[in-house]
Amino acid sequence: MSSDSSKKRKPKVIRTDGAPQESKRGRVDPDQDVKYYSEEAEVELRDPSKDYELYKQTCQELQRLMAEIQDLKSKGSKDSAAAIEERRIQSCMYFMTLKKLNRLAHIRLKKGRDQTHEAKQKVDAYHLQLQNLLYEVMHLQKEITKCLEFKSKHEEIELVSVDEFYKEAPPEISKPNITLNEPHQQTLARLDWELEQRKRLAEKYKECLASKEKILKEIEVKREYLSSLQPRLNSIMQASLPVQEYLFMPFDQAHKQSETARHLPPPLYVLFVQANAYGQACDQKLAVAIDGSVEDAKALYKPPEDSQDDESDSDAEEEQTTKRRRPTLGVQLDDKRKEMLKRHPLSVTIDLKCKDDSELHLVFYYLLNLNVLTVKSRVSTAAELSSPVSAGDLLSPGCLLSCLYPGDHGKRTPNPANQFQFDKVGILSLSDYVADLGHPYVWVQKLGGLHFPKDQPQHTVTAESSLSASHMELTMKLLRTRLQSRLALHKQFASLEHGVVPVSSECQQLFPSKVVARLAKWAALPYEDYLELHYTKDVVEAGLAEDTHLYYTVLVERGTAKLQAAVALNPGYSSMPPVFSLCLSWKGERTGSNDDNIRAMESEVNVRYRELCGPRPGYQLLTNQLQRLCVVLDVYLETECHDTSVEGPKEFPQEKMCLRLARGPSRMKPFKYNHPQGFFSHR
Amino acid sequence: MAPGQMDIQRALELLHMTVFSQSVSPCGKYLAAGNNYGEIAVFSLSAALSSEAKEESKKPVVSFTAHDGPVYAMVSTERQLLSAGNGEVKAWNWSDIVKKGCKEAWSRRPPYRSSLEVPEINSLQLNPKDNSLLLAGGDCSVHAMDLESGTFTHEFRGHNDYVHCLALRDQYQECLSGSEDGTVRMWDLRTGAQVQVIEVHKYEECSRPQNGKWIRCLATDCDWMVCGGGPALTLWHLRSVTPTTVFPLPHCQQHVMFYQDLVLTAAGSSHKVDVFTNFSYRAFSLCFA
Repeated sequence: MSSDSSKKRKPKVIRTDGAPQESKRGRVDPDQDVKYYSEEAEVELRDPSKDYELYKQTCQELQRLMAEIQDLKSKGSKDSAAAIEERRIQSCMYFMTLKKLNRLAHIRLKKGRDQTHEAKQKVDAYHLQLQNLLYEVMHLQKEITKCLEFKSKHEEIELVSVDEFYKEAPPEISKPNITLNEPHQQTLARLDWELEQRKRLAEKYKECLASKEKILKEIEVKREYLSSLQPRLNSIMQASLPVQEYLFMPFDQAHKQSETARHLPPPLYVLFVQANAYGQACDQKLAVAIDGSVEDAKALYKPPEDSQDDESDSDAEEEQTTKRRRPTLGVQLDDKRKEMLKRHPLSVTIDLKCKDDSELHLVFYYLLNLNVLTVKSRVSTAAELSSPVSAGDLLSPGCLLSCLYPGDHGKRTPNPANQFQFDKVGILSLSDYVADLGHPYVWVQKLGGLHFPKDQPQHTVTAESSLSASHMELTMKLLRTRLQSRLALHKQFASLEHGVVPVSSECQQLFPSKVVARLAKWAALPYEDYLELHYTKDVVEAGLAEDTHLYYTVLVERGTAKLQAAVALNPGYSSMPPVFSLCLSWKGERTGSNDDNIRAMESEVNVRYRELCGPRPGYQLLTNQLQRLCVVLDVYLETECHDTSVEGPKEFPQEKMCLRLARGPSRMKPFKYNHPQGFFSHR
Repeated sequence: MAPGQMDIQRALELLHMTVFSQSVSPCGKYLAAGNNYGEIAVFSLSAALSSEAKEESKKPVVSFTAHDGPVYAMVSTERQLLSAGNGEVKAWNWSDIVKKGCKEAWSRRPPYRSSLEVPEINSLQLNPKDNSLLLAGGDCSVHAMDLESGTFTHEFRGHNDYVHCLALRDQYQECLSGSEDGTVRMWDLRTGAQVQVIEVHKYEECSRPQNGKWIRCLATDCDWMVCGGGPALTLWHLRSVTPTTVFPLPHCQQHVMFYQDLVLTAAGSSHKVDVFTNFSYRAFSLCFA
């Protein structure tokens, strides 16, 4: 073995790893005989499979030798020592072979590893390169897409459309011959144009701003001027007030009124507006005004926070009072009632003036919770009125406006929904409170535009001005007529109480010049007493005597004959005639039910009332009726046929000129007076 | 006139209305009534007496103003209704009235002597024998009118005061008239002469001076006569001209008639026509509207 031989020598053997190292060679002592022994080179020359075979062989030999040694040892003979020694030497040789093989194997392994390592490194380098390249590719691609996506700022500018551009831009800028072909140039041209336009517009904008500033300054100046004008105008208005009064054109007052009117509740507002309009258009003697506290009206509609504070305060108060004393149920109910019947603080006043300077003052109120209007009335006359006893009710606020329209007595609330409200607080009827609140007549509701249809009850009734306008004229006329007729009656009553029937000169022709029967008594009669009389039953049954009428008792006397009459005066006098019921006490009691002629006398005053109306407007009807009553009594008494069985002259000699004393199956007396001949005849 | 005033006017008129005369139609289904305003109202008796009568059936079927004075007398012939107003007689065809046609067929005026005042006609009496109509009234005489020709044939003068009522004694062709002057006179219809005068108030049995002497109602049965008014209601035997029975009724009778063996009499005034279905009680009243 070459390796063995080399080993035995003692020369320095430099084992190199393959890579020649000049530096190390440098250190080598040149004196020595250096053999460069490279096992690596040897390895390359040897065949690994043969080495493997050698290895196997050597192992076998060793095993064999070991076995022989063993054997020899076990045998324990003396010559075996040399054999053993020989074998030992052989096995040592074999061991050395093994060692060399081992070394070769290690060297091979190392070589293999190195080679792998190298290759791996190469591969790694390539891999790295690949990665780098890929990375760069990606990067480039990103860059490319970025570049491709790049939007130039110019694209964000909204440019005028191409056609418009060519239309508007001047040729120096648009350069159509170039730009039409090249889109780049076109875009550039468009951008130029845009720039120019924007510059121009910016200029304009600056100018406009400047002018705006100027105008604002002017406005300020003028405003100051105007505000300085306001106090001057006020002073002029003040100064003109006396002039207004002098010329009867109260503009200021009207203005104030319409200011206050804005706080009125809707029905009162409708009433106010319509009455004002009517007054201005048709009736100069109608004056409308608003009374009451505007502050209270505003307070009604306070925002809820205030009321909450009030509530908490009142709660605290209530707690205190409950500690002291519990309010009784009655007081609570009373308060609830008062609350329900609360009035709006503002009211509308209408004053109607008549020709004789008497005035009817009407104050209209609005009940908030009940949604009805009420009215209170008052009469004022130019001269002081003497009050005859019987005339007590004529002008009283309770009766003055009763039944202005037939059946409108104002004792019940016209709003059917109120009944349910009343039931909650125990109010039976509004009539108990009319003295304080005023009367809720239906015509008042109509003037306020409130309509309560009976057959279709509505949830909320709102004020409508058309309803008010359609009723205004007639109602005002009726009110005037009512006032005048009541005042006329008032005067008449004063005379009647003194036993004088006042007959005006125009009506003298209705009666003969000599009337002997005279009025002895005129007095007011309560309704219950009227119902008690036995000779009024027919009138009551015919529905001509209701509790809204006024009743009077009359006594006409002549000699022993006493004629009692009960008069039912309709509130609508004089368009509605009074109705007389007669009872004659003379030789027995005669009434319409047992004496046809008494019935005829009643007919003369009741049915023939049109003849007795007198000159328009007919307020003398009552006095003429009374005068006629006296006349027919005269005729009755004088034409009574003489009872021949009784001694003595006729109590009432016939003084009246009559054609016939009796006519027809009922033997009617001649009650009809003929003027100017002066005789009596039958109808 | 406002509607309210119209109502009041009519209500007052109704209150003072008196029904003076009535007449049943020849078919018996209708009743005509005349009042003091000269209106005639026709009621349907068949409807009012039927079992399904309602309030509406008691109102007139038709009503119209016939005269300008009270309708004091009415009488029905076979086809017509004759009504008397202020000095005139008008005839209405029943067939027209039932169909609500209110035009008069004819109208006649007896010849009056004085023109100062138009006298009323208080009584109408039909004489079927010679188809004539007797009228009597305010001019104190009885007129006879031929219904065929419309001419006034006789005038019976004699009464001193106006005539209230007429009755016919057709056996003897005589008519009796009762007057305000207190006499009942008998007239011969053929000759026109006054046959007899009975001064009722002079007889003590029946005279009631406190009421007066006027004779309001007459009814005759040829031999017997009932008359009343101021004097008491008395039954007279005509041949002997003696009062046989004096009926003790307090008031002054307005109407009287013989009915079988009964004497019916009525007094009173209102705007209603009382209907008696039997003599004991008043069933219901028809009333003017």
